[in-house]
Amino acid sequence: MRNERRWFSMLALMLALALLLAACGVQQQPPATGGGTGGPPIKIGAIFDLTGPTADVGTPYSKGQIAFIEWKNANGGVAGRQLQLISQDYAYEVPRAEELYTQFVTQDKVVVFSGWGTGDTEALKGKITADKIPFISASYSATLANPAETPYNFLVAPTYSDQLIIAMKWALDDWKAKGKSGVPKFAYLINDSPFGRSPLADGTAFAKANGVETPLEVPSPRGATDLTPQLTQIRDFGANYVFLQNVSSPAALAIKNAKSLGLDVQFVCLNWCANELLIKLAGQDAEGVVGAIPFSPEGEGAKVALNFAREKGIDYGGADSTFVQGWTAMSILVAGIERTLKDGKELTGENIKNTLETMGPIDTGGVTLPVVFSSTDHAGLKSLRMFRVQNGKWVAITDFISAK
Amino acid sequence: MQSGTFHTSYASDMALRPYWPQRVRIAIVLIAVLIFPWFADRYWLNLANTIAIAAIGAIGLNILVGYTGQISIGHGGFLAVGAYTAGLLAVRLDMPMWITIPVASLFTALVGAFFGLPSARLKGLYLAIATLASQEIIIWLLTHGKLLGIGESLSLPPATNNLFGVPLNALGNNDFVFYWITVGFLALTVIFVSNLFRSRAGRAFVAIRDQDIAAQVIGVDIFRYKLLAFATSSFFAGLAGALTAHYRGIISWERFTIDTSILYLAMIIIGGLGSVSGSIYGAAFMVLLPAMLANLARSVSGVVPDINSYLPFIQQGAFGLAIILFLIFEPEGIVKMWRNVKDYFRLWPFSY
Repeated sequence: MRNERRWFSMLALMLALALLLAACGVQQQPPATGGGTGGPPIKIGAIFDLTGPTADVGTPYSKGQIAFIEWKNANGGVAGRQLQLISQDYAYEVPRAEELYTQFVTQDKVVVFSGWGTGDTEALKGKITADKIPFISASYSATLANPAETPYNFLVAPTYSDQLIIAMKWALDDWKAKGKSGVPKFAYLINDSPFGRSPLADGTAFAKANGVETPLEVPSPRGATDLTPQLTQIRDFGANYVFLQNVSSPAALAIKNAKSLGLDVQFVCLNWCANELLIKLAGQDAEGVVGAIPFSPEGEGAKVALNFAREKGIDYGGADSTFVQGWTAMSILVAGIERTLKDGKELTGENIKNTLETMGPIDTGGVTLPVVFSSTDHAGLKSLRMFRVQNGKWVAITDFISAK
Repeated sequence: MQSGTFHTSYASDMALRPYWPQRVRIAIVLIAVLIFPWFADRYWLNLANTIAIAAIGAIGLNILVGYTGQISIGHGGFLAVGAYTAGLLAVRLDMPMWITIPVASLFTALVGAFFGLPSARLKGLYLAIATLASQEIIIWLLTHGKLLGIGESLSLPPATNNLFGVPLNALGNNDFVFYWITVGFLALTVIFVSNLFRSRAGRAFVAIRDQDIAAQVIGVDIFRYKLLAFATSSFFAGLAGALTAHYRGIISWERFTIDTSILYLAMIIIGGLGSVSGSIYGAAFMVLLPAMLANLARSVSGVVPDINSYLPFIQQGAFGLAIILFLIFEPEGIVKMWRNVKDYFRLWPFSY
């Protein structure tokens, strides 16, 4: 016992020393990489979900963002300056996001920031405004699109509300095209979080305006391994279209469970489950599922991203569209930085924000329609195409549809 | 206990810190606490505030679990009650924080006493499951809170962050100002709870923990004191929750899930059950562990390039490892380790 105690205090001492070292370590400035001609590296902060409940899509998204920075640096960086991405996993935990954001902004002095979830982006919005940090995130919650309230949040995809309304428009057309009478019944099967509930109020308003009965809202519990009870609820309600606002793994589970339950509904995935992971996980059962995919993995810009990944041997688990989404989101943010430097302005949050608002359409190489921000609207995109899984691949079935 | 000290007055016998090294130490701690914010940047202030708020919550939980022996895994729910009460008062009625914080704390104490009712009949694991139910009920009410008129998250108007009419943002940046508020409340909490266990009620709590039947035999009204323990514990949970709401300016239920309850239990187990200072050490340890691991990984990432991709797993592993190591080697927590260090030097060089 005596020896064990001594061994343990030794271990504790070493741990304490290591932590102390770490505490001192952050005070030092990391050495400048590359040493481009145009000056010090431009610092970009990012938080990713690599271990939390949305890690299935969080991982390929993060790989896309990191790959874009690498690719940009390999091609000479921005105005001769290298980009430096300071990123970390936050496991979808709001307090952790706040801590990392504060660290990256106050200690590392990042000029722009790329976030992830709806809950944490909303929790940070006050700080973002106070710190004047242009912020994109993978949350397209409509509440973040109004510059009067959140002047530094930029949305690089149609808002979740727009996505849901577009999906409903498609559903109503599809119902008519199938020659059925009356109106269909809708249901939501959503992630039990602010992310899941974000578009529901706007979607329900749209549905009601079109004479559809108030859609049934069914949250799927985090970490559930069987969604049969939830699907039974949807069956009893008699829904024809089920809108999935969730990430791929629980969505795939729902689709498989529905198949074994013999449930005859049309599943419609919004952004975060409409990707290749869903097909991989649900296999045959994914056939016929429809998805709202804002970032098409087919355009020229997507080919550059996917080729770069192949060259470098980056493993993103086969989720092409999510990888491209991460890449493209980062490219839009960097386009703002590039333009600010080109205009000869100092690289401050305020200047980058003004540039993004005034620079006109940002081309994403056909991945999306050109992205346009204005000083009154920070939702850069208004429309997307609907896709359907056919023979294990997402195939576009409509032209660009907008919510308005 | 130190030998060779002879109290000559009741006052010195009752003193919380009768020995001079204790007084020197408390003076050093106080000076450090007062100096710290003037040198720290916002990142460290943010960590300090997180620790202070967590410590208030952990002390609250320790009253219930460590001192009264009633296991609770519903602490996250009570934090949520405090946060949402303060939030709703601020949003709906535009009340300033110096009203919302006490009201939220008192209301949470009431809610805590209500959810403590099963403790009259249940003990040990059965009570733990009953408190788990309270956690789930509270979170369910918040997520399906249309009846309370709560949306997904609640943004507090910045104007409600004022003390007796003085707006906080006039006094400095948010992290700096809240440092004084959170640390001030922590100091009050420490003073109150340290003294609580020298009072009649505190001794009754400890009696219930040690042997509830014997306590009943000597005349402790068990039901009353158990409820009182639940109420006091929840009062501090409410205080921590209300401080979180005003400090962060926005709250969502995601902050107060079952994970939070378990994190708080881990804090007091690692810090030391039945110890006020242990709760603070535990809170500091649990907040600093992931942050310091991340910083460590960053400072060695030049030497070990791939460390960042393993970091998430190292962090999760470290959390579990810390709890297991403490349970094996020092079940009484950090506070006992600190005592061992003190004992060693007290007897040095002639230890036996």
